[in-house]
Amino acid sequence: MFPELNSILNSTPDSFKSSDFILVSDRRADASFLIHHHLSFYLRAGCKVCFLGLVQSFSHYSAVGQRLGVSLAQAREKGQLVFLEGLKNSIGVILQEDTSQETQPLSYLRTPGAGLEGLFRFVERSVRQSGDGDAGESWGPPVLLIDDLSVLLSLGVSVGAILDFTLYCQATVCSELQGNMVILVRCEEEDADDDEEGSNLLRRGLVHQCNLALHVEGLPTGYCRDIHGQMEVWWRQGEETIYNQRKIFHFKVHDKGASFFARGTSSAVL
Amino acid sequence: MSVESCVLQGAEAGGFILIQDTVKCTGRGLLKCFINAALKRGEDVHVLGFESPETEVCAGLDRSCVQKLHFHKGFPDPLGWTRRSSFTVERFASQHITQLIKDTQQAKASVLVVDSLSLVLRHHDPLVFCQTLQELRKGGVIKTIIGLLHSDLHQQGIVGIVCYLASTVISVAPANNERHSVAKTTRRTKSGKVMQEEEYFSVCKDATLSVQAKPRQPGHVQKERDVSEADPTSNLTFNLRLSEEERKAKEKVALPFVFSQEKKSALLKPTPGSGRIVYEPDDNDDFDEEDPDDDLDV
Repeated sequence: MFPELNSILNSTPDSFKSSDFILVSDRRADASFLIHHHLSFYLRAGCKVCFLGLVQSFSHYSAVGQRLGVSLAQAREKGQLVFLEGLKNSIGVILQEDTSQETQPLSYLRTPGAGLEGLFRFVERSVRQSGDGDAGESWGPPVLLIDDLSVLLSLGVSVGAILDFTLYCQATVCSELQGNMVILVRCEEEDADDDEEGSNLLRRGLVHQCNLALHVEGLPTGYCRDIHGQMEVWWRQGEETIYNQRKIFHFKVHDKGASFFARGTSSAVL
Repeated sequence: MSVESCVLQGAEAGGFILIQDTVKCTGRGLLKCFINAALKRGEDVHVLGFESPETEVCAGLDRSCVQKLHFHKGFPDPLGWTRRSSFTVERFASQHITQLIKDTQQAKASVLVVDSLSLVLRHHDPLVFCQTLQELRKGGVIKTIIGLLHSDLHQQGIVGIVCYLASTVISVAPANNERHSVAKTTRRTKSGKVMQEEEYFSVCKDATLSVQAKPRQPGHVQKERDVSEADPTSNLTFNLRLSEEERKAKEKVALPFVFSQEKKSALLKPTPGSGRIVYEPDDNDDFDEEDPDDDLDV
């Protein structure tokens, strides 16, 4: 996890806001480093994490997690982490070899028009499981992480079905179980007539639902070696902050973390 | 018709108030003000809550009137997946809603609040949705319908259709000032007259509306413009300024094409001593004593 991001968002593994829906989005940039941050953050906080990894393998997240100081394999063994390996299991669904219960969450691969109820049931089962780790450890509030949701659009699932799915996840994880949710959405370039079904429509629908939106883009002035991009933090409705507040930070991703700074204060400039 | 009077008085019977919002500014606060005002007026309020939990919608409402509020739980199960809701989106039809309202005791003319219409539109054909709204308005059981619509989640045509059905449309947008938002109210009376108004507003913690000055009023400009006018006549190698006498002389100069009183009398009256014209009409001449230029306004 990134300490500078923690201070920007005013949260630490020991004290963070619950019932939070955090939306991570990017446009022509890669915001997956924020997913790695939140994964290590919530594992350190001792929460029960349900991770839908739809675009990368478990070993990828494990390798990055190692650099950030958490062991995903250990967490999975202990029962703290439930990992849905989308890529590996999807072959089984498509070839219809494996008909066990594990394939139900990926039923959208065969029938994308039917919606994501199966995936929701998998999430619900995972977050409701009581902690039965070693010596009866009970984990903290549940956390749902999704990387990434926009890939479902390219598989034929409609924007409405995805928004229904996230509404149900928010109802169960955030409202009922007081847990948190972090979802990554990758957007395309904004078009003039953006009424069509697409990633931008999905992002707008998710921004309506979320409490905090982190949007990552490249610098508007072009490529820079020392600054990898800008991240906009948008605090939306919460109990204390009724008014929208938006701030932009620059960031640089390192081997073992990322540093964030206010605009114009990069070490290359000062 | 300002948004404040709209909230406090409600709409006339058969009215449909539409609150339009976008990601930049949420309209749920304003919706809460409408609910609170209706409860204070003693009306029965039925809320079809599909998108927000009951605790969030009811937070801050006047405690004394809360028994008149009937929250029909769509959230957390608006589609019936977990069988925990009392009213799913699927049942958004005039006969189900009318039955739902009649089932409550003392069903006099009630106010129906829908949070949100966007979810309903996602699961219903727009045509059927419009028919349902019209049937509810004319049914007699419901006095007013108030709905929240996220206008940036639908095609422009569909948003247009719903706006057309509404008797009052309130669009909320962010203002330059973070503490307030701008509400643009368009109201259509039964006679066809359209009234529009734009105001700053904010929602207080007790779900009441606080309207500030309207934008474009002088003296209420929220954003200070940092304009410093540079003096173009300073720092020059030649003199562009006027001394006091020069300025007075300049103001005295009569401009060539301005027709002032002095010029008029100078032109029209002959100066003494100059040539006089003596005209003696011939017998054939048609001499008219009247001045032909008399009707000119010179």
